[in-house]
Amino acid sequence: MSIDPCVGVESNLQPYLDRQLTPDEVGLIEGHLGECSYCRERYHFEAKLRDTVKTVCCGDPVPEGLVDRVRLHCRGLGAA
Amino acid sequence: MLLVADSVGFMADTPPSETTDTPGEASARDALDRVRFEEEALSHADQLYRVALRLSGSQQAAEELVQEAYLRAFRGWRGYRPGTNLAAWLATILRNAFLDEARKQSRRPAQESIDDTSEYYLYNHLTETAAEPQEAVLNRLSGGAIVDSLSEIPPNFREVVVLVDIGDFSYQDAADILGVPIGTVMSRLHRGRRALKQALANHASKQEAE
Repeated sequence: MSIDPCVGVESNLQPYLDRQLTPDEVGLIEGHLGECSYCRERYHFEAKLRDTVKTVCCGDPVPEGLVDRVRLHCRGLGAA
Repeated sequence: MLLVADSVGFMADTPPSETTDTPGEASARDALDRVRFEEEALSHADQLYRVALRLSGSQQAAEELVQEAYLRAFRGWRGYRPGTNLAAWLATILRNAFLDEARKQSRRPAQESIDDTSEYYLYNHLTETAAEPQEAVLNRLSGGAIVDSLSEIPPNFREVVVLVDIGDFSYQDAADILGVPIGTVMSRLHRGRRALKQALANHASKQEAE
């Protein structure tokens, strides 16, 4: 991590949210987030942004009938 | 038809098809294949549809894409190696079908580049332009503005964001699906998310002005 912990948190925030960091790196980030309100506010915002985008964009279930249509279509094709 | 790149490895250990079956054995095997396909492959329809919807941008195109992907998957079902990641195998086929359709319509995703901006671009933008706390602005952004923002990311970056952030695929799955190294997935994801923030900032400004 960078010498400036705030810069280090900024550049590792996405991999942190993706759970791609090692336990040591996670410890450094979380330790810093516990004591720095500047980074904490931004971290909360980034996490909220992820959730919001995901909730909105995953909101549509597969349309009714689509799976049945696929099943019928494949049955019409004969052997797999 | 080769449905997935060899580099993905899904087809590598596929046993050669048996040629000594009696007709009865062959049809019993076909029936078993069909049952497995219907039980296993079709259970990923939700995840595939989410990806299809955000790749193609419309419900109708997404339905056609999912249908086409499943037909291709059904024809190539013997090429799927049991025990490997079925969702990723299906997503590879779906993405190939999407590219084929895009090519047909001569809108092959361009290899665009995007500006690199600060990680906190959107946060800073909202701090400068909005009277409310940043998260409150985020809450007020309409679903349509968010969906539009995602669709405005250049296609080669958007597909990585869609696979990882919407489709819940791991970096490695996304690398297999796209046939690129994992480092490429990470850099496209990084840039794609930055582009999403820029698009969201523009939509937030537009919404404020209304």
